Amino acid sequence: MTIKTLGAVLVAAAVLAASLPAGAQGPIRVGASMSLTGTYAKLGNYQHEGYKLCAKQINDKGGLLGRKVEFVVYDDQSTPATAVRLYEKLITEDKVDALMGPYSSPVTEASANVTEKYKKVMVTPLAATTSIFKKGRKYIFMVISPAEVYLEGLVDMAAKRGLKTVAVVYEDTLFAKASAVGAVDLAKKRGMEVVFQEGYPKGNQDFSGMLTKIKAANPDVLAASTYFDDAIAITRQMKELNVNPKMYGVTVGGDLPEFYNLLKQNAEYITGATQWEAALPYPGNTEFAGAYKKEFGREPVYHSAAGYAGCTVWAEAVRRAGSLDSEKVRETLLKLDTKTAFGGFKVDADGFQTAHKMVTTQWQDGKKVIVWPDELATGKLRFPTPPWNQR
Amino acid sequence: MLLAALAVYPALGTGYGVRAMLQIFMWIALAGSWNLISGLTGYVSFGHVAFFGAGAYTGAILVAKADWPWLAAALAGGVGACAVALVIGYPCLRLKGPYFAIAMLGLNEVLRALVSYFEGLTGGGSGLSLPTLHATVPIYYAMAATAGGVTLLTYAIITSRFGLRLMTIREDELAAEAMGIDTARHKLYAFLLSAVGPGIAGALAARDQGYIEPVSVFPLATTITMIVMVLFGGKGTVWGPVLGAVALFVAQEFVWARFPYVHQLLFGAIIVAVVLLMPRGVLGILQIRYRLPRTI
Repeated sequence: MTIKTLGAVLVAAAVLAASLPAGAQGPIRVGASMSLTGTYAKLGNYQHEGYKLCAKQINDKGGLLGRKVEFVVYDDQSTPATAVRLYEKLITEDKVDALMGPYSSPVTEASANVTEKYKKVMVTPLAATTSIFKKGRKYIFMVISPAEVYLEGLVDMAAKRGLKTVAVVYEDTLFAKASAVGAVDLAKKRGMEVVFQEGYPKGNQDFSGMLTKIKAANPDVLAASTYFDDAIAITRQMKELNVNPKMYGVTVGGDLPEFYNLLKQNAEYITGATQWEAALPYPGNTEFAGAYKKEFGREPVYHSAAGYAGCTVWAEAVRRAGSLDSEKVRETLLKLDTKTAFGGFKVDADGFQTAHKMVTTQWQDGKKVIVWPDELATGKLRFPTPPWNQR
Repeated sequence: MLLAALAVYPALGTGYGVRAMLQIFMWIALAGSWNLISGLTGYVSFGHVAFFGAGAYTGAILVAKADWPWLAAALAGGVGACAVALVIGYPCLRLKGPYFAIAMLGLNEVLRALVSYFEGLTGGGSGLSLPTLHATVPIYYAMAATAGGVTLLTYAIITSRFGLRLMTIREDELAAEAMGIDTARHKLYAFLLSAVGPGIAGALAARDQGYIEPVSVFPLATTITMIVMVLFGGKGTVWGPVLGAVALFVAQEFVWARFPYVHQLLFGAIIVAVVLLMPRGVLGILQIRYRLPRTI
């Protein structure tokens, strides 16, 4: 190709580019690093589905600021180090227009350093650890309730029923530990005595030693800050060792259908803590659950709902700001006070969530019933727990 | 030429490019260090990430609790890892074959448990969060120096009498002893040297990332990746670990960006293919076919 023809082509290209109508901008590209494989794969995929449904619904309604929304997602294999690199890639190479958060507190904690460096707003729907938001970071926004209140329902119900002693056990990781510490504080505040407190490493399967000590301490309440596998194992071994406190509650995992499927009648009376339930009377909640089931062929869990809500809140802020500019979106998010299918959204000056409420559920005859707080309850707490062989 | 290009890269490349290069340097330092003990003496270490983690925690604690500058903390990370190597290497290097491999695997688990236990110092399972610092570019140079240092050290060892003795141990330890080589001491020296690189790299990575937790700095997967990189490039060579680290990191980065669900499958396939088809690695094959010198 001679210089002349090259010049002609360039001129033609420039004319063509200039003649395109202004409205024909490309889609709004939203970048996110997701735990599609690795330890958090299952929950990370639920969150990803929430993002996908949110983008689809925005696009079906004509897009955002007249443009389509498109997610650019990479797999961080559930490791903070990879996620850090991916956010750097999304910002500096892919030059995405906006960012959404990854799954889990550790991954968010590491990634937030990158997004802060570039002053990019990131709504982080699945980070529940308070400390992440209390370090002077300016551009991250929390969606779910903090770890510290996961066991609030259990402690509150126990205190109201005059129970005096509580044992707290937890998986020794960032989030689970924070929720255990929260439970201890709440219990003390309500005048209850914490008679036993112990952590166990991630992936632990044998709880017999710990449960024997708990049996000796004979607490009225056992509060377990768990993920999923440990909640199952603890429950099974409690039955084997006949550890039977008047109330027993777990956190994450206790609300999943798989929990009941695996434990059957042994799951009865056990409470679980969750950020969201399909039955909650939030605006658009029924529609969300229906659309989700249609799109992905199964019921949504709170991780899907949180992802969906995080993306919805971000889109709402962009719409109100009328711009994708990070500073403007940040200002709008700080002032936003709204309700989504996931519940309330309002943050303080640190981006820390203050409006969203946790609920506590209990398995009753194979059904999950919301028993706390009273204003959202769909049934009454069954209390006290009978011996294991009478459930 | 290459050195100059690497030196000016941070000024030209994107933030992601710099971070990816930093990661490549880290893998060169890790793979090269594993090669020092396992490639040269034949003592397969299945827990080398323990030194990475030890360095990461040493460095991070010094930065978080004692306000050390990151460069000093990184060097301390190397010293810390070396100290761990001394304690564990002295008894364990007397173990042979699979027993040494298992002992190293155990070391990694023990360190992880210890770090989780001493909460006051390490933050336990909640991890350790460092003050925010935007120093990716200086850390890039420090990591490059670490990678270069490990490679240079490998060259120096392979071309020395010390290296010859190590390789004698690999080929036949009994014969080496019969020839009057103090095998225990030689192995220990090689082991100590192999811990320094991961220690420094761990401390640098911790500083750059700003947050560490036991699960993320002691993963078995990191050891496996080191081993695969060395096997792919050619164990017991100078440039094998470099070649393996660059090739596999680029391949992984290229693959996961497009096929998130198959990258682990492909990685596994590479391991099987390397072990079956070219147990001496790429450089090993080249050395035999083209009669390249041993010091490549």
